[in-house]
Amino acid sequence: MGGELRYEITQNAYIKLVLHALKHKTSAVNGILVSRVSPKNDVVEIIDSVPLFHSQLGLLPQLEISLILIEEHFVTKGLNIVGYFHANERFDDHELGSLAKNVGDHIYRYLPQAAVLLLDNKKLGALSKTKDRSPVVQVAFMFLIFASRIWKLVGSDGNQLTIKEPSANVVLLDHISTEKWQDVVDFDDHLDDISKDWLNPELFK
Amino acid sequence: MVSKTEEAQLNRLESQVDNGGGGAWEYLCLVRKLKVRRSEKVLKYGMSILNDLSKRSSLGPEEWTLYEQVALAAMDCQCLDVAKDLIKLLRKAFPESKRVGKLEAMLLEAKGSWAEAEKAYSSLLEDSPLDQVVHKRRVAMAKAQGDTSGAIEWLNKYLEIFMADNDAWRELAEIYVSLQMYKQAAFCYEELILAQPTVPLYHLAYADILYTLGGLENIQTAKKYYASVIDLTGGKNIRALFGISLCTSAIAQLAKGRNKEDKETSELQSLVATALEKDYKQRAPDKLSLLTIALKNLKVSS
Repeated sequence: MGGELRYEITQNAYIKLVLHALKHKTSAVNGILVSRVSPKNDVVEIIDSVPLFHSQLGLLPQLEISLILIEEHFVTKGLNIVGYFHANERFDDHELGSLAKNVGDHIYRYLPQAAVLLLDNKKLGALSKTKDRSPVVQVAFMFLIFASRIWKLVGSDGNQLTIKEPSANVVLLDHISTEKWQDVVDFDDHLDDISKDWLNPELFK
Repeated sequence: MVSKTEEAQLNRLESQVDNGGGGAWEYLCLVRKLKVRRSEKVLKYGMSILNDLSKRSSLGPEEWTLYEQVALAAMDCQCLDVAKDLIKLLRKAFPESKRVGKLEAMLLEAKGSWAEAEKAYSSLLEDSPLDQVVHKRRVAMAKAQGDTSGAIEWLNKYLEIFMADNDAWRELAEIYVSLQMYKQAAFCYEELILAQPTVPLYHLAYADILYTLGGLENIQTAKKYYASVIDLTGGKNIRALFGISLCTSAIAQLAKGRNKEDKETSELQSLVATALEKDYKQRAPDKLSLLTIALKNLKVSS
């Protein structure tokens, strides 16, 4: 059950997703979470993330192609797709929409530890004012309730999701002030120009 | 819609201004002409001109156009005080103007005073019922409040009057896609393709939606539209090439047992694979092996 598992996300994976959302302030964005197949069964380590799209998120062909290529790339490194990240179009929308739920369902079918992360815009906006170390994402896990599966958002102030490096939010704020989001490449950018690399290898160098 | 050359020209100007090479006014005029949304830059460079007395007076009557442009950009960036000041100055200069009235209503909207903005827009529409901008602001307000069904309703009403507004059809299609109402989105693209049959973007989106809807017939039609995108773009559109691979794979799975399409399908599949591999080899060689495996998997699964 998703309730007892802890999720830990690395700074790079975390910042990449938030920067992607900041690059496309006027639209919804999504991304994929990648984890190591961990020998310890109580912690899921989200090692990396791949930003996917910033337009027409509901279309299947681009999603299928991206999942095929992402899966193929990471499986050779002993990593697999463990979850989905979504940032809503509107600032005050904190609900997990049906689209995010559907993609989450799809990933859950392959991996029962699947998690869905939803960007918490309020927290992101307040980041510069608080010294909060908790991540600006809400985590949703699949809960089995009354034999029907629903995605339930769990507050990140519990121990459910932590960032591996404690200074991650400070680094994030720094990147925001230098407009680092301009360098983030997502799958949409790749499909428009394949010379752009969705792995973002140079982003944090 | 902006063409690639226009976008390149705009980006060139933008980086010229960014790097201190001047040309801010040309940049702002181009942004206005192409109707693109670059609010942060417009605000920054617009204000730098407006705050410089000599630059401002050299604009002559164009000064007011700049006020308007920067006010809109300021509202988009939520710099409402800046917008308020600019609009006040415009109001002083043009006391009877409906155009300024529109900006004042938009300021209410930007503040989130929905009811007041709605009143302002309604009264503007009473005087000029065919004002497209105000109609669209209504849709935008509904969207901003999360009232997607309201936005759809307003947008449909708008399209009954202005059925040639292709951007509106696209906006409606995008709203439908975000709500996973694919049949309705498909209808919008059908209208767009009828209106402008040589725009590959519409064929591509239509194909994507048909594929998403699924089912053998839809996917076969999707394949035809991906093919027409390839035709219209001279084979340069990667999404269409991938689209065809996905379609042929899906069709083969769905049509198991019906053998008539086999030869044509596998020919098409290998043509597409060759085109993709050639492109990746040239422009993204480190992703080439990944692509080859992916294409092989698509073939195997079919």
